[in-house]
Amino acid sequence: MHGVKRRQWNQELLEQKKLNDAKNINNYRRLTSTILGLKEKKEYSLDNLQKSKELLKINPEFNAVWNFRRDSIIALKEQLEAKFWEEELDFVMAELKIYPKVYWIWGHRVWVLNNYPGSPVSIWKRELLIVSKLLELDARNYHGWHYRRIVISSIENRTGESMDKEEFEYSSNKINNNISNFSAWHQRANMIPAMFANNEIEDKKKFIDDELKYITNAMYTDAEDQSVWIYIKWFLNSDIVSNTYTTEEYVKMIDDVKQNILIINQDDLDFSGKENAWCLKMLIVIEEISKRFGSQEECRTQEYVKKLIEIDPLRKNRYLHLRNKT
Amino acid sequence: MLNAERRPSVAERRSSFLSGSLQNSMNIPVVPHLAGIEDPLPETTPDKVDVLIAGTGMVESVLAAALAWQGSSVLHIDKNDYYGDTSATLTIDQISNWVNEVNSGTSSLSVCYTNAKLYISKSLRHSNTYVSRDFGIDLSPKILFAKSDLLSILVKSRVHQYLEFQSLSNFHTYENDSFEKLTNTKQEIFTDQNLSLMSKRNLMRFIKFVLVWDEQPEIWQQYAEKPISDFLVEKFKLENNQLYELIFSIGLCYNLDVKTPNALQRIRRYLTSFDVYGPFPVLYSKFGGPGELSQGFCRSAAVAGSTYKLNSQLLSFNPTTKEAVFKDGSKIKVEERVIVSPTQAPLDSKNIPKQEYEVHRLTCIVEKSCSEWFGEGESAAVVVFPPNSLKSNNRTVVQAFIVGSGTESCAKGTCIWYLSTVETGPRAELDLDAALEALERSIIRESSTDLENENDLIQLGPNGQTIINSVKLGQSFKEYIPREKVQFLLKLYYTQFTSTPPFDVVTPSVFEFSKEWPKDSSLLVPGASDNNIVYTSMPCAEISYDDVITAAKVLYEKIVGSDDDFFDVDFEDEDIPTYQNNGDVQYQNTFEEDDEEDEARDMDIVENEEPMGEMEI
Repeated sequence: MHGVKRRQWNQELLEQKKLNDAKNINNYRRLTSTILGLKEKKEYSLDNLQKSKELLKINPEFNAVWNFRRDSIIALKEQLEAKFWEEELDFVMAELKIYPKVYWIWGHRVWVLNNYPGSPVSIWKRELLIVSKLLELDARNYHGWHYRRIVISSIENRTGESMDKEEFEYSSNKINNNISNFSAWHQRANMIPAMFANNEIEDKKKFIDDELKYITNAMYTDAEDQSVWIYIKWFLNSDIVSNTYTTEEYVKMIDDVKQNILIINQDDLDFSGKENAWCLKMLIVIEEISKRFGSQEECRTQEYVKKLIEIDPLRKNRYLHLRNKT
Repeated sequence: MLNAERRPSVAERRSSFLSGSLQNSMNIPVVPHLAGIEDPLPETTPDKVDVLIAGTGMVESVLAAALAWQGSSVLHIDKNDYYGDTSATLTIDQISNWVNEVNSGTSSLSVCYTNAKLYISKSLRHSNTYVSRDFGIDLSPKILFAKSDLLSILVKSRVHQYLEFQSLSNFHTYENDSFEKLTNTKQEIFTDQNLSLMSKRNLMRFIKFVLVWDEQPEIWQQYAEKPISDFLVEKFKLENNQLYELIFSIGLCYNLDVKTPNALQRIRRYLTSFDVYGPFPVLYSKFGGPGELSQGFCRSAAVAGSTYKLNSQLLSFNPTTKEAVFKDGSKIKVEERVIVSPTQAPLDSKNIPKQEYEVHRLTCIVEKSCSEWFGEGESAAVVVFPPNSLKSNNRTVVQAFIVGSGTESCAKGTCIWYLSTVETGPRAELDLDAALEALERSIIRESSTDLENENDLIQLGPNGQTIINSVKLGQSFKEYIPREKVQFLLKLYYTQFTSTPPFDVVTPSVFEFSKEWPKDSSLLVPGASDNNIVYTSMPCAEISYDDVITAAKVLYEKIVGSDDDFFDVDFEDEDIPTYQNNGDVQYQNTFEEDDEEDEARDMDIVENEEPMGEMEI
């Protein structure tokens, strides 16, 4: 383990540890069989609810126990005190702090919020603050991003107001902080179609122009970053872009991007003697698009694939497969 | 009577010293607060020790602590009544005495410093506003890189618990009569509107390269003996202003001719320090710089059993009898080594290594907060004047370290400016003066209030239009200049000598002279009081602490035989962190782990929406 000081184990300490471990293992096994037995018999009580908590603290990955806990809560709903729900949220948060990447805990939190008496918009707004804080601590925790989308849609459902614009800006901020934040780029790719669909953009053409500047800037800033390229690929292929531009504008835009990619690739070649794999991959994508729009230009995909195999031999068969497909 | 007037020491400022609060002493379990070493006058000095060290400067103090923790018995003395020696943090009164001693020519201090000139304003001398000990002036101010050997030692030895650090993120490059702030992170490069696309690319490429430059010799080898500027222009196509930022502000080099590998090393130092503890590369200690750190290491050495004696001067050492004699008549037998700072050399010494390199310093206290230069929530900044940016046509960089009152090193509403250069001879003072003038002009401009804000200058006409009162405006302009003059409370020039050439920060050649320690008596200098003494080096011009650990380690190795156990300390209270009592730690760790696999799975958990899709190729 990293960051943990190695301990000198002598015979005596080792014995001690074994005794301790055995005790813990016994306790865990006893709790497990008790709770699975109760689950089988559908025996729900406040006491058993407490037992499930004990077990989940030891092993939060045990989804059957989370299920038992939820069944118990539903069965006992009338008996639960008013403060139960806040305490449950605190318990889940304490677990998340220790295990921020366990699916079941995130899932249970959503369930608690949905079953909270009345599930008012205020608790969801508070939740948005909490998840923003979590994403500040780890901007790339995909659980956090996924959870954020759930929270946002819950708020939107309750207020009837779209939060697309705020979320779009949120993604811009996160990308400006770290251009390699794939989750933020992904969020952006979700927000733009939503904003178009809901008619939330005044000047659509200007919006697309600006977005193009933004990604050009990103591709020059870091041409090795896969998050940026994956987003660019989505953007170029997106209906939103091709529907906003006239065909002429669209073809010209594609060509501009292509010229920029050629410049970057040439610059890499000049510097290191190697072409940039991401540039080559994008050039193939662009050729596909151009072909769809009836481009008469000579097809160079075969040549790009050959180069790709040279600079990235580990993916040789993937590239060959692609060549045969086209 | 020992210290009629001094600043509170490291220990005295600790809240546990004042209140004896249980909670505080529990946070610092290993080290008792040792009020005793404030005025160390041990009743009995030991008859013999392994190592005698004279001078409590940075290197000597680190060495003392390292030796003490290794198990050697150490007597650590200083002829002054304060800790720090060449690294000291001094009050105004102590500075006056120091200047007198330098200029008296009778002390060994004059070998190390010359040409000390001190101006103290009337308002500081006879003032009810300021007290001498409101100020802590560093004789050799330093900044601490977040990723550096000294910082790891501070943490490992727990000396950091005696100290308080603040962050410094503002590095300014002076150019065309104004300060430019740095663009040095990926984030800033991406969002900077003024950089061209190609410049962004070139800059990013260089930054990525420099982080692993030593693994890619094929890129720089042909420039190994050439100046860094050639390398950056020819290989990375960087533009002039980027060159200046990289070489002078980020690399803190002295001129454009620095050899490529040297400069790359220094540029990387800054970049890898960034984001270690937060979005800043550098830290500095509150209440004073190296003076504080030296004191911290002395304290650590004392905890490990070293004996401390201030006001104690070495008179002579006899290598045959191994007897050291002090001014107060006491004697001690030294088994292993005598280590002496050049400032503390005994009279009639003949072996002090030549201190041939000059560092010129100008330290000012101004009656302005200068907060305009600091980052948000910070109290210090670094300003660099590249070659040829000053009226004096400077050939060499002038570096300025600006320290505000938030550091508790000076009174509220004042600020300390530390300027230094490695330029030699009379040019040095001209450069320092020119840099001072530039700083002065800049702070006046940046801190002056807008004329618009002055209500009595602008009057509203009957129809609501604004009338500027031209008579008053004229007066105001006349008053503007005298009113906005920077008031200097103190100005101090001095030239310091060192045996460390500018830039030889990390090479052990600093101690080459001590290789030939006389083994047999024929090599001893007749009549010298300092035969077989090893001299440490004076602090060098380097603005960071980067030479300190290297220097201490080399000396340590010469004494102990190897540096394997240099600060190999094991504190007893260190326990295995378990998740019950240390949940926070685990939480942090888990959050930091960041693997691409997780990233990719981000796609999988989005059920309803059309994802961007995996890259087809």
